[in-house]
Amino acid sequence: MGNILVEIKDLHKSFGEEEVLKGVDLDVERGEVVCIMGPSGAGKSTFLRCINRLEEPDSGTIKIDGEPITGDNVDLNKMRTEIGMVFQQFNLFPHMNALSNITLALKKVKNMSKAEADKKGLENLEKVGLKYKAESKPDQLSGGQKQRVAMARALAMDPKLMLFDEPTSALDPELIEEVVKVMLDLAEMGMTMIAVTHEISFAKGGSDRVCLLDQGNMLEQAPTEKFFNDPEHDRTREFLSMVLD
Amino acid sequence: MEAFAHNFLNINVLIRTHGFLITGLFMTLRLIGFSLILAMAWGLFLSVVRNVHLPGLNTFIVFYVDTLRSLPILVLLMLIYYALPFVGIQVPAFTAAVLALSLNGGAYYAEIFRAGIEAIHRGQTEAARTLGLNYIQTMRHVILPQAIRVVLPPLTTNTLEFIKATAAASVVALPDILRQASQAMNSTFNPTPLTGALVLYLLICLPLVQLIRRFENN
Repeated sequence: MGNILVEIKDLHKSFGEEEVLKGVDLDVERGEVVCIMGPSGAGKSTFLRCINRLEEPDSGTIKIDGEPITGDNVDLNKMRTEIGMVFQQFNLFPHMNALSNITLALKKVKNMSKAEADKKGLENLEKVGLKYKAESKPDQLSGGQKQRVAMARALAMDPKLMLFDEPTSALDPELIEEVVKVMLDLAEMGMTMIAVTHEISFAKGGSDRVCLLDQGNMLEQAPTEKFFNDPEHDRTREFLSMVLD
Repeated sequence: MEAFAHNFLNINVLIRTHGFLITGLFMTLRLIGFSLILAMAWGLFLSVVRNVHLPGLNTFIVFYVDTLRSLPILVLLMLIYYALPFVGIQVPAFTAAVLALSLNGGAYYAEIFRAGIEAIHRGQTEAARTLGLNYIQTMRHVILPQAIRVVLPPLTTNTLEFIKATAAASVVALPDILRQASQAMNSTFNPTPLTGALVLYLLICLPLVQLIRRFENN
């Protein structure tokens, strides 16, 4: 078990005829931040969604903290409380204010009292700089604020691992920075993170390792510095030349 | 004109028979109360179960919903009331009416709730499940509160139709508004109690119609 938190071996996933993941491996250490990059349609989101089984992998194994989470005998709800996820479209619950978005799972899943949940919810809103928006409904928040509330909601569950599925892709350019800043803060605090992102500023500034997923294969995995400056594969160079322009 | 007033707007007859009508009103309200709650709960249950997408079960639910929506409520009610005793099940008129209305209404409500559930973006379910909420909690706290808001207009329209359909219960001699009014008409040889029944139905249904109009305007 040691220092490895996430252990993914030979992950396969097809949608109909199309094989989206063709045997992907990835190990992530505790406290490590891994960015997954790649062209659209490469299987990045599918890969990430397999890690908390929003998508059911066809074969392969995933272990979190040494515990297999693939197979039939896994308590999915319990497993998911240990893995936070942030979506491209935020997916806040529009009928609840920011605080209630956070406290719902604390009360219903973690069985906290309302007072405990509110306290924890406000603490987490403060972490993302939005305590003053606790009473606001999602439609009263900007895109960046919505994403920060979504992050607070995931963080409040005290996950061992955070998954980010293109968290800045739906944001106007001027709102990206505030979200990236929270992600960088999290990385600094030692949160283990796997982020699918096109956001170079986060990949360069916050991640320990970057992977290139291309046509369902993990083509390149390298420390961030090496990935951007001296990648092994031509395909990676080609990809980087496109996104860095 | 005088003949019309004598037959349909006869105050003396109305005063003499108002007790009948009031009894009928309470029976109709009781019938609405019981069957509406059951129909909605049954419809909600069917739609939530259907959303799990279990193949066999879904085929059954679709079959049920389609069949029940194709049956006139009167036929269903008479079948329950007159046919069940032949298989050894005696059903009182009130129970038969509640059963028929709930089975039929449940099919309509199931379709409405299903439309609402399907209108909610999949990301909502995913976000809730990712937080560790189970299916029932996700439905109860995240999906249904939004889904019901979406389908409030058709829900209200259907409820209006449902309430009017309760008048069918008079065919199995349940002393509801319509049955009591026709009894009163027969005993006074004057149809004014029917006018009374009309007014009572308007009193129950008009507020709902107003509510629907308000939805349409928004």
